Amino acid sequence: MTAREVIVIAEHLGGELSDITLEMLACARDVARTIGWRVTCLILADDPEPFKALPLASDRILIVKDPVLGSFNPTAYIRVLIHMLKELSPQLILLGNTSVGMDLAGPLSIGLNVPVASGCVAIRAADGGLVVMSRLLGGKLQARTEVLKGTVIALLLPGNYSREVGMRDTLPTAEIRPSPEPLGALPVRFLELVEPKMEDIDVRKAAVLVAAGRGIQSKENLAAVEDLAEALGGAVCSTRPVVDQGWLPRSRQIGRSGMTVKPRLYLALGISGAPEHVEGMKDSELIVAVNTDPDAPIFDVAHYGTTVDLLDLVPVLTERIRNLRGG
Amino acid sequence: MKIAVILRQVPDVVEELVIAESGRSLAEDEVTYITNEADEHALEQALILKARHGAKVSVLSVGGDEARDALATATAKGAEDAILVPMPFENRGDNHHLAALLTPEMKSAGYDLILTGLSAADQRDAGLAGLLAARLFLPYVGGLICVTLDPSGSVATVRKEFPGGRLGVLEVALPAVLGIQSAEQPPRYVPVSKVSQAKKALQPKVLSVPAPSVAGLPIQRLLKPEAAGKAEMVPGDVEQIADWIVRLLRERGIV
Amino acid sequence: MSPESLSLELEPGGTPSDATSEFLNRMGRLPGGERILACIQCGMCTGLCPLGYAMDFGPRKMISALRAGRIDDLYRSESLWLCVACFNCTLRCPVGVPLSDRLIAGMRVDLLERGVGVPPELQAAFERTFRYGNPFGESPKKRDAWTKGAGVDVPVLHEGDSAEVLWWVGCFASYNKRNQRDTIALARILRALGVDFGILGPDERCSGDIPCSAMGEEGLFGDLYRHNSGQLAKRKFKEILVGDPHAFNAFNKEYRRLGTPLDVHHYTQFLAERAPELERRMKKPITALVTYHDACCLGRRNGEYDAPRTLLETIPGVRLVEMPRNRENALCCGGGGGANWLDSYIWQRVRVPLPMQRVQEAAKTGAQILAVSCPLEIPRFEDAIKTSGLERRLQVREVSHMLAEAMGLVEGG
Repeated sequence: MTAREVIVIAEHLGGELSDITLEMLACARDVARTIGWRVTCLILADDPEPFKALPLASDRILIVKDPVLGSFNPTAYIRVLIHMLKELSPQLILLGNTSVGMDLAGPLSIGLNVPVASGCVAIRAADGGLVVMSRLLGGKLQARTEVLKGTVIALLLPGNYSREVGMRDTLPTAEIRPSPEPLGALPVRFLELVEPKMEDIDVRKAAVLVAAGRGIQSKENLAAVEDLAEALGGAVCSTRPVVDQGWLPRSRQIGRSGMTVKPRLYLALGISGAPEHVEGMKDSELIVAVNTDPDAPIFDVAHYGTTVDLLDLVPVLTERIRNLRGG
Repeated sequence: MKIAVILRQVPDVVEELVIAESGRSLAEDEVTYITNEADEHALEQALILKARHGAKVSVLSVGGDEARDALATATAKGAEDAILVPMPFENRGDNHHLAALLTPEMKSAGYDLILTGLSAADQRDAGLAGLLAARLFLPYVGGLICVTLDPSGSVATVRKEFPGGRLGVLEVALPAVLGIQSAEQPPRYVPVSKVSQAKKALQPKVLSVPAPSVAGLPIQRLLKPEAAGKAEMVPGDVEQIADWIVRLLRERGIV
Repeated sequence: MSPESLSLELEPGGTPSDATSEFLNRMGRLPGGERILACIQCGMCTGLCPLGYAMDFGPRKMISALRAGRIDDLYRSESLWLCVACFNCTLRCPVGVPLSDRLIAGMRVDLLERGVGVPPELQAAFERTFRYGNPFGESPKKRDAWTKGAGVDVPVLHEGDSAEVLWWVGCFASYNKRNQRDTIALARILRALGVDFGILGPDERCSGDIPCSAMGEEGLFGDLYRHNSGQLAKRKFKEILVGDPHAFNAFNKEYRRLGTPLDVHHYTQFLAERAPELERRMKKPITALVTYHDACCLGRRNGEYDAPRTLLETIPGVRLVEMPRNRENALCCGGGGGANWLDSYIWQRVRVPLPMQRVQEAAKTGAQILAVSCPLEIPRFEDAIKTSGLERRLQVREVSHMLAEAMGLVEGG
């Protein structure tokens, strides 16, 4: 009898595996370990070199190689994946709850006739099946779903598993195959990947984040926040309303339709703590929130809080930090 | 050029969410509904394309009474066609069910473009757009912030969000289904008086098809996430608090 | 002039655009609207307008453009969104042109219907007001949550209930954290005076004056009016007490015009009638030089200048001093007519924001306290005081809160 299997559908950009892939591997490892299932990391790419010798926490790396797979063309991916997944017949298929995974989940579900659970934050093996915990309605509700038999596709939300656990100190076996399906004549063509403007950064890589919410009141006040971030050696990020106003680029948006971050310090300024935002920063190591409203929900997730006006506090704090550093 | 937009009603989180006694769903009489935000963007994008290319926009609105109101607002904004898709409470949030229900209508209507939001606030399975596309054997790309059409109206060029602020530019042959993240401009405002007029004049086609026996995974338990506890509030004036924060950051090795 | 067709006296060579005629004809059907064309182009309005210097089309030029059949110039101008509905122009116009409520408001209705140039900040306020009955997007069910911390019983009147006085609390007073303590102060004063009162609670929706009537969202104002008047009809009361001058204006003027006459008083008027009783209950002094800011909706629009001053004089230790621009000449805080949501937009286009001008004027009188009677003014002036660096010199206080403190009902501000 073939061993039961978890397949992680990898996401990668520019020759690097995305963090969500490592998180999915951590999740897969967690599930597989308790019940002796096998974990396969399935990577669709044009060039296997960057991936074939990665110390991933999976039993094997399976790379499907084809020039068309060099960029994310959802129709190409689906054609390949349906074939591969029918052949491999896993019990659990992990996708990222991301712009990549979300393009694949529906078509795979219909093509394989397999159910889907989205917004997953945790998956456990239990009672011969799987228990999936998901978040709904901007994190205000949690749903528990059991899958007792058959295969299921799960979309994993970023930020719920540790990237480090997705790696290990030995190399899994790597297998490279050509595409099992012809990839010409696709209804979708990937033209180009536009990089963000130079000034922009990946906020998920910052150890210190100073976050501006609606309480910042105006674009002019952002300058003071930038100064503070600079003094702290960190970066400025924000909630969706600030980005929607055009005061910061979308790459700085933290939350459900933005980034999920886990910095060492998350300084929340004038942020009410709406669930859509909190989802993206709740696991930060140290959260300090500044909001004049003592009942703001941000104080439910922050470690420390104060109700002084952020516009008063920010310049004073910046000065203190500068004195400390600059002498 | 025919464009369809699918609007879904989702629970409004401004109100307190009350879980039903069964623990498997929200309490039906305590829920208030609001149009799914990403679907509002899908409608806006459709209206932008209508202005550019003279397309005809049909709106399918899913839910209960609020779905009817959403049709009034959509027609006040410029949609030509209004179709009501009644959805009983127990099936709301189930995109598998909805996709199966909509498939025959979408097949026969022959739309060039079907737009809906990338995801719905209350969904627990895959996004509607991808499921519908697969059932209709149409291509699907989601997470879009821009959609342009070529002059012949047979190819759409889309901009898709990737992590880190990157954008993918893809070409999609029509007919296709697209999952909108945000429209090229925020959803337009329409005055209340226009919506009221639209409400009075509204005579939507009602989609009454037998409910398919397709459903997504059932939820065993619905619960509120535990709050780990409240923040420790720091006392003092601005100067004292600034000092306190600096001390904390030093202790934690952050400065 | 027949309201059905206004004849345009055209400047030589001018052609009336259809849109201009449409606009003027619509104005003609509203009370006083036909007077727009009675304008003698004296320029009093633009001269008095606190932001007239920043408008490329002040009220005078707007009418001149309309006379030339050139409403399109006005559609393209940003001037319409700079108006803060302070009513200075209307009050002083020698021929009684209803500038604030017909010309400006009417143009805004037009713009909204055409989907032209609506600032997105306003859009959110309208959408929230329509959906939740308040411009903040807070749950209607939580409208009376403030009563839990009031320290006194604040009865909610349900259908069929009655009280002598129905207290219309208002959106800011109910939801805004900074205003709630003043709402609580008023509740305690009413209790101390033994007033038989009740509030509508969650059945109360925005009166519509701030975001709607002066902002062009007539449909929304009408919607709110129908709801509110329906709810009022379900309770029995002798008079309405209003905390917010904007709501007072809506009830006193618009609701009356639309067919719901109400015996309505602003809280300062209500309490001023009971001034001797209040004086008897004073327990501690507030020793300070106080200057009172006349709210536009209470003062210029409804002629009430004395009641707040009477109340301040009941407080032992208070010495009143007037700002140079007082009573009919008071300088607007800049929050009226929906401008509260347009600060960023407006301040980018003017030299010194109005609230900053006003607090500096107050500080110059030597007063330690700037007393106000409109909830918008608290956050607006407090922010302006910070920005102007006047924190140690000047404090903003609501009249009700000062009274309550002197009566020993609340702690000092």
